[in-house]
Amino acid sequence: MTDTDTASAPTAFLRPDGKEKVTGSGRYTADLTLTGQTYAKFRYADYAHARILSIDTTKAKALPGVVAVITQDDLPDVRFGGFVQDRTLFAKDVVRFEGEIVAGVAALTPEIAAQAAAMIEVEYEPLPVVSDFLAAMEPGATLVHPDLESYGKDENIVASGNTMAYHTIVKGDADAAMAGADVVVKGRYVSDSSQGVPIEPRAVLAQWQGDQVTIWSSTQVPYAARAGVAQTLEVPEANVRIVVPLLGGGFGAKCDLHFEAQVAALARAAKRPVKLVFSRREEFVAIAQRREGIVMEFETGVTRDGRLVSRRSKLVLDKGAYCGEGGFLGQMAAMHACGPYQIDNIFVESHLNYTNNQPSGSVRAPTAPQVCWGLEQHMDEVARAIDMDPVELRRRTLIEAGAEGPTRQIFEEVGIKQTLERAVEMIGYGRDLPDDEAIGVAVGWWPCMPAPSGAYVHVNGDGSGTIVTGAQENGSGAVMAMPMFVAEELGMRPEDFTLLYQDTAAANWDMGSCGSQTTFNSGRAILAAAADVREQLLDAAAQELEVDREDLELAEGAVRVKGSPERSVTIADLAGAGTIHGKGSGDVPEVPAGDTGGCVGRLGNETFLTPQLITQAAHVKVDRATGVVRVLKVAAAHDSGMILNRMGADGQVIGGIVMGVGLALSEGTMLDDQGHQRNPALLDYKLVTCADAPQIEVDWIQIPTSGAGPRGSKGVGEPPQVPTAAAIANAITKVLGTQVRQLPMTPERVWSATQAAE
Amino acid sequence: MKVEATLNVNGTDYPVEIDPHLSLLRAVRDEIGLTGSKEGCDDSECGACMMMLDGKPVNSCSYLALQAEGRQVTTVEGLAGNEELAPLQRAFLEFGGVQCGFCTPGMLVSASSLLSANPDPSEDQIRIALAGNLCRCTGYDNIVRAVRSAASAG
Amino acid sequence: MASFTSATSVEEAVGAIGAGARPVAGGTDLVVGSRQGKKPLPDALVAIDRIEALRGISEQGGGLRLGALASHEEITAHATILSMYTALADASAIVGSHATRANGTIGGNVMNASPAMDTGGALLCFGATVTLRGAGGEREVPIADLWTGPGATVATPDELLVSVDLPEPAAGTGSAYVRLEYRRQMEIAVVGATAVVTVNEGSVTDARIAITALAPTIHRVAEAEQALTGTDGGDAAVAAAARAAAAGSAPIGDVRASADYRLAMAEVVARRAIAGALARARGETIPVPASDALYGA
Repeated sequence: MTDTDTASAPTAFLRPDGKEKVTGSGRYTADLTLTGQTYAKFRYADYAHARILSIDTTKAKALPGVVAVITQDDLPDVRFGGFVQDRTLFAKDVVRFEGEIVAGVAALTPEIAAQAAAMIEVEYEPLPVVSDFLAAMEPGATLVHPDLESYGKDENIVASGNTMAYHTIVKGDADAAMAGADVVVKGRYVSDSSQGVPIEPRAVLAQWQGDQVTIWSSTQVPYAARAGVAQTLEVPEANVRIVVPLLGGGFGAKCDLHFEAQVAALARAAKRPVKLVFSRREEFVAIAQRREGIVMEFETGVTRDGRLVSRRSKLVLDKGAYCGEGGFLGQMAAMHACGPYQIDNIFVESHLNYTNNQPSGSVRAPTAPQVCWGLEQHMDEVARAIDMDPVELRRRTLIEAGAEGPTRQIFEEVGIKQTLERAVEMIGYGRDLPDDEAIGVAVGWWPCMPAPSGAYVHVNGDGSGTIVTGAQENGSGAVMAMPMFVAEELGMRPEDFTLLYQDTAAANWDMGSCGSQTTFNSGRAILAAAADVREQLLDAAAQELEVDREDLELAEGAVRVKGSPERSVTIADLAGAGTIHGKGSGDVPEVPAGDTGGCVGRLGNETFLTPQLITQAAHVKVDRATGVVRVLKVAAAHDSGMILNRMGADGQVIGGIVMGVGLALSEGTMLDDQGHQRNPALLDYKLVTCADAPQIEVDWIQIPTSGAGPRGSKGVGEPPQVPTAAAIANAITKVLGTQVRQLPMTPERVWSATQAAE
Repeated sequence: MKVEATLNVNGTDYPVEIDPHLSLLRAVRDEIGLTGSKEGCDDSECGACMMMLDGKPVNSCSYLALQAEGRQVTTVEGLAGNEELAPLQRAFLEFGGVQCGFCTPGMLVSASSLLSANPDPSEDQIRIALAGNLCRCTGYDNIVRAVRSAASAG
Repeated sequence: MASFTSATSVEEAVGAIGAGARPVAGGTDLVVGSRQGKKPLPDALVAIDRIEALRGISEQGGGLRLGALASHEEITAHATILSMYTALADASAIVGSHATRANGTIGGNVMNASPAMDTGGALLCFGATVTLRGAGGEREVPIADLWTGPGATVATPDELLVSVDLPEPAAGTGSAYVRLEYRRQMEIAVVGATAVVTVNEGSVTDARIAITALAPTIHRVAEAEQALTGTDGGDAAVAAAARAAAAGSAPIGDVRASADYRLAMAEVVARRAIAGALARARGETIPVPASDALYGA
């Protein structure tokens, strides 16, 4: 338990945004108020799929207190989207999901705005609703986007019918190898869609001053929001400033362009500031970012001594109505259908299908937890089929240094086997348990996401410092830890630094808070900027002290001669009036070379740069009579490279696991056959509470590897989510003697599986 | 018809003129201007709006502001009193109980209310008392550690 | 036009209600309901939370009187309720969250007349009587006659619930309320069962069994009670009574559970509630709340 003891020790360096968060003085977007501010409400689609025959805003505009009503007719005819440009800001001609925005209203109070939105008269011709994402790819299915061919799209997108993106991974000869296997196991698994559910509902506040607009937004990706506003409203990026006040969580749900442009357009029309604050229901229904539903089929050929000779898999994913930033989901899912295993013969295909459901996008390790949940149950079934302990099967089949991946990348140091051994040790795998308890084990992986970034470090006249970064703090503390790293580089104290961040007018472009890459990319840039400052300080001090640079060191806020600390000059003196400025971006690591073997759909996730590797083991108790599962303990061993901030990293794992427990047992969006969510509220979409959270033990396998980020680190935030549901599933199967093949594994589904087995 | 009333929040009397249907949360945020308490849901499910009413926890989003007249309302802004930080607030920071911070005000209010009623709670008592406050970031562990630490220090 | 008064006496409150105001105590059901768009808040409101006469829990004869304002927190902490009316403590201990329990009152709970009300089964099985006060005076209504459907009672619009009386249970009585819980807290009853049993010299001399969230109103199931009464309270009798309790339900299927699952769970929670009540009647300790203590039993 030494590691848990370490984790529980209080920290001396308090996060820079901590005081404002515990005293209530911090400001989130919904807390801001501007002079003359008005309030936005959207009018949403009345159908999940319908042609708009007419929109009459006359009555709404006439309501006293209404200052603007707009529709797509008032805006440039621009479609946006990542790999496929398929959506307009407000609905144009057709609505394609229940959260589609038909019109926007700004009014003096939220109540008047809501009343006016309800007074907008929309005439529809209902169209057949495509809600079943398997049926969506059957011949003759109603097309969600009949004009898909005419849309702008990435050249690597392979689209057909309702399939927005088709991908394959082909290695060796899967069919022949399958035929020669000792044992072949097949399995089918279905995951419902689910939600990110940050506790802060989305808020946007926009104000124009002349041709320039400032938008305060609860976004994870301010630069993507800026680009999206500029593109859809046809204004220069230079005229758009996105500021993110404190961000109340994201988990991917606040990625992508999200309502900033609609609110800016309303503010322009109203000629005064407009503020949008979502209700919890809107946060469920209207955002274009949910975790996608997936139907998974796996077939694995294995030898009796536990060698995986062949894998076939077919994945069908629910894209929902629009591409957004989620065009890559199918390819990412395909990589997770292979998993961190050595398999010489592979055929995986994935279909990312349009439906009239809410759009899917990046939610914490997109596609990985669901596919891992299916694959790892399947792997346990493979182990049972050859009468081998499932941990032993993984020992024999996991990748190691020098192994070739599914797309022929050659792995360098990978600690997956070490994570397996450590996790089973922590959980006490193999010990006797009561017959309603069991331990399940699952492994998973997640890539590092290389991206450019840039940062400045200024040394002020009094020797304090300012770090200017485009990085976005989502709460994880990744940005909050930066003063520690810069201070170490410059021999200063972390508290000497403040951060200027989350303001596109101040800092360089950054990918934002997504893909667990803040330390990896933004951190690399900040350290490069700090190194630039360090060079300048050494140069200046060498001149001042008339010594060789090599004889100098930075410590205690000064540059001093090694071995003669009394010969020194303070950083404050060297900074003059504040004239030392460092900048940096660092070299972006290259994604490893690879080959999908297939000829279609390479969108950038076909190889995994310095993968993060994970084993989690879950100890669960199952109430057989009711199907209610309680997770007693989860042991997590992760290879995320070198860990720079232990408390922050542990916090990510613990939080990710608890979110994973919810995904496993209670978090599923239920849809009716007309594409409406049936449980868009926290009473019926159940998050794990404090009273149900398991005991969690965390340890890290720290291995230096090339291609890693600053100081040997990899990402941290998404991997914890990947194998939790899978480990819980494998434990449930051990208790029940049968699998629960639908996610979330609700009490009723666990109970039904038991009934079916009896 | 708006009604004149006086609300005492964190020891200060505030005269307000409000609609009888206005929630305590909106009165405190919009009329009095203390925005530390948050709104995270519509139905008392998330706990981000938690305040104390005469020392007891209340989901202020679902409580009428006028019913609070003559009572002592405490929000996160009132927890430190005249100190820079209350021991519980410091413990939240030292033990990593704060990430995005959106649940933090409500969490601190619930924990303060628990500790004033039960200065030495067991871990399970802490977990039950905080179950009405959803947190999506921390997985709760470090929050529970912080509350235990503040309890044993207090 | 919206109006608000805060009454300081029962008379004042009854006057306001008679003039069309809706009483509000903790607000946990009323305000939430309006925010969810189920039912707008009534224009005229009268706060009753400051009426001293509606407060407190007191011994009355051999029984107990709960003022309408008795909160779930007070009920859960009350020594007599914990020892003699344990099923009521089981129920109040798992209503909502700590904040719901601090503010939610038994009066509001009873008059909300939800078929998923946790405390309803215990009040019914203990033979509670409510006192209603209207302009025309006071009347007592057995709780079995109070609820007529989801959200509906026999109380007239001008009547205020002032207290709930619980008669003294017979010697040798034990009770339990068990709810199917997806989570340990923050739940609404999807399936629940209450049992109040009296055991004398190894034999069940009286049994009262009610089911929750399984029909338009919470109600007792005579067949289940008969199946248990006169038996030794052994496993076979408990199982038979639980089966009968489930047979007395008419569950719906919705977003929280299918009708089939509810039906199957009715038997499971009834079995646990009956077994728990018998164990308590025999002097065994099952901690409050029983739902948590009997998980997996």
